[in-house]
Amino acid sequence: CALFKGKLNIDVDTIQHGVEGLMYLLTESSKLMISEIDFQDSIHALGFSEELNKSLLQLYLDNRKEIRSILGELSPRLPSYHSLEWRLDVQLASRSLRQQIKPAVTMKLHLNQNEDHTARVLQTDPATLLHLIQQLEQALGEMKTNHCRRIVRNMK
Amino acid sequence: ILDDPDLKDIDPLVLKHCHAAAATCILEAGKHRADISAISTCLEDCKLDKERIEQFCTEYQKNKDALEILLGSIGRSPLHITDVSWRLEYQIKNNQLHKTYQPSYLVTLNVEKSDSGSHTDVSFSCTMEQLQDLVGKLKDAAKSLERATQM
Repeated sequence: CALFKGKLNIDVDTIQHGVEGLMYLLTESSKLMISEIDFQDSIHALGFSEELNKSLLQLYLDNRKEIRSILGELSPRLPSYHSLEWRLDVQLASRSLRQQIKPAVTMKLHLNQNEDHTARVLQTDPATLLHLIQQLEQALGEMKTNHCRRIVRNMK
Repeated sequence: ILDDPDLKDIDPLVLKHCHAAAATCILEAGKHRADISAISTCLEDCKLDKERIEQFCTEYQKNKDALEILLGSIGRSPLHITDVSWRLEYQIKNNQLHKTYQPSYLVTLNVEKSDSGSHTDVSFSCTMEQLQDLVGKLKDAAKSLERATQM
């Protein structure tokens, strides 16, 4: 701000307000995803020059996507899936029982939450694994049903 | 057993020793998956008469499978997944961003801790692509299992 003050001979507060105003304009517009026409109508009320209005519109359109993706990170979120590693194990013996053949699938589930990366180690048996696959395939199938397709279509 | 009317004439201390001895014998036999002849031989060495040995072995045989299952379930292991629940949602807007229009899945893996029996579920959200990745990997694991059982 002090640098600009020197170059443009405007005081620091004005510059700060200017920057904040610009920020607010861009974030609100991006948040609401307003159309070009609506944007132009909104800033017209501010009484700037035609050239300035054009620059502001271009600024909005150029940066809208990035601003939206940053705003998207601020919403309440659960840990999200990152990846899964797996391994097949067979338990042969334990302290309480010898001569076993107990197959198991050991997995490392990698999750992200707000820049934190966690890894949970989990295990399951073959029967449950097949059950998990069946259930999750059903979940994937749901998006393809007519019901979901209709909603997605009508909510754009 | 201390309250059993049939056993009330026996000295409680002796009763406790007998119970502990029998329990130890049964658990050790179960642990090593001993067969009947091995148990018989062991009991013969302890100077038990034939009739008692036979009775013991018959009872043991009846409960052998249940015993082995019980012994097999004792022990530490990573959190064990028992079930999965999922939810498909279509996000329309939030207070930071409007018109988001994004489908997303919320998956909960129901987990059972082997020792305490309590549930500490693991929940996470994912997109359709991420869920496809997850299912793909699980299917790879299942295929490997199938191949391993055929070896």
